[in-house]
Amino acid sequence: MLLSVEDLEMRFGDKLIQSDVSFSVERGMIFAIMGVSGCGKSTLLKHMVGLLRPARGRIAYDGVDYWASDDATRTRLRAGFGMLFQSAALWSSMTLLENVCLPLEQHTKLDAAQRDKRAREVLGWVDLDEFAHYFPADLSGGMKKRAGLARAIVAEPPLLLLDEPSAGLDPISAKRLDDLILDLRERTGAAVVFVSHELASLLDIADDAIFLDVDSKKPIAHGSPRHLRDHAEHPTVRAFLRRQEPAPTSQAKTTTEKAASS
Amino acid sequence: MRFVTSILPLRAVAFFGHVLLGTAAGLRGGWRFRVKDFSRVMADCSAKAVPIVAIVNVLVGAILAFVGAVQLVKFGAGIFVADLVGIAVAREMAAVITAVVMAGRTGASFAAELATMQTNEEVDALEVLGLNAIDFLVLPRVMALVAVMPLLYVYGCVAGLLGGLLVAAGMLDLSATAYADRTVEALSWAHLGLGAAKSVVFGGLIAITGCYYGMYAQRNAAGVGIATTLAVVASIVGVIAIDAVFAVCANALGI
Repeated sequence: MLLSVEDLEMRFGDKLIQSDVSFSVERGMIFAIMGVSGCGKSTLLKHMVGLLRPARGRIAYDGVDYWASDDATRTRLRAGFGMLFQSAALWSSMTLLENVCLPLEQHTKLDAAQRDKRAREVLGWVDLDEFAHYFPADLSGGMKKRAGLARAIVAEPPLLLLDEPSAGLDPISAKRLDDLILDLRERTGAAVVFVSHELASLLDIADDAIFLDVDSKKPIAHGSPRHLRDHAEHPTVRAFLRRQEPAPTSQAKTTTEKAASS
Repeated sequence: MRFVTSILPLRAVAFFGHVLLGTAAGLRGGWRFRVKDFSRVMADCSAKAVPIVAIVNVLVGAILAFVGAVQLVKFGAGIFVADLVGIAVAREMAAVITAVVMAGRTGASFAAELATMQTNEEVDALEVLGLNAIDFLVLPRVMALVAVMPLLYVYGCVAGLLGGLLVAAGMLDLSATAYADRTVEALSWAHLGLGAAKSVVFGGLIAITGCYYGMYAQRNAAGVGIATTLAVVASIVGVIAIDAVFAVCANALGI
């Protein structure tokens, strides 16, 4: 088991974000975190990479509890992550080439020429090789996103965490990005955990998924997105995956009926 | 114990401790920042700061000479304007005025830059990569300003003395040679050493304060503005408070 999340509770101060979050991700698996806006998907991702500390529960990589480990072990575990942030989070004082080279400098023993060659190769995968010497401020949102993905995958980490990778991309670029993720999984055996609202991506590439509910603040469904679309018990999950208005809950229905009768 | 921890600014103390530990590790040969970043910051807080430092120090030297000349001339002691300007500039004014200019210019820039990086999740991206943000972002800024401040102090001294000379020559009809001779006679290495020591401490204070407020800024546009304001205010108050401590210590030591 590459990653396991057990009984996780996330809070900002006294405010509960989500609780009872449990799932595991194996090597080569593509795992999706789903839910409506504001339910805590990106927050969950930040807990998984060690940027936020859980209020309760356990996050383990290859059986090693991240938060019970010392600093040296955490740094070693982080070497296995590649993260694409929602805002891409490219380092603004560096060119794209320098952005993509930095993970190689940090986590590999390649010399400068080899790093440069590898970074240009990966920038080519996302069609940005011509922009290697541009600064992030000179790029469009979609280009920044692709550059962020190049930076996340350049060192071929065993675990990729992608926060809305295809948001802001045109449908053709989004499809190419999905293919790139599948290709990367094929070639390196990396596991991918991604947050997305893109139904096409969720249904096409995710092997397994969890759905975080914003009302109960708990996961309400777990399974492959295709299976959940057709068989989920919770109406919100079915509505989300079928792109429909959710059916009114029994309480809402009663209120509506009462209003109609009066 | 709880009372002690509640009144101490623990986060600021911890930040200062991290900077000191990072510096110690760096001096043992373990700098983690990129030379390119260090060079960029160094250029920004040295060569690009020279014009404003020069203008302000020339004016301060001129004001000191003007105030001194008006009073000293009454006693027929106009030549002692050179003593007044020389000692005041070397001991106090060049270091303090340069520090105030750098707090408004470079300290604010450090705070705004790091606060924007926080807002854009750039600092998080470094942490995920296993790079310590203090080693990678704060230390190059602190090292650059600490290295550059004594040089700016020397430049500020020269500019201040020049301002004094211009006023003295204009108001008192003193020759440049007589003014320069009197200045050299009045100044000692102790005055210059004290000013240079202050400038190093001020450089560290301004850089650490700017970086601290930048690193802990709220992640929105207002947060960037608040961080910048707090960095400048805290730096200027800190510079004046530390200058007072230096004055007391120098007096006690007979410097």
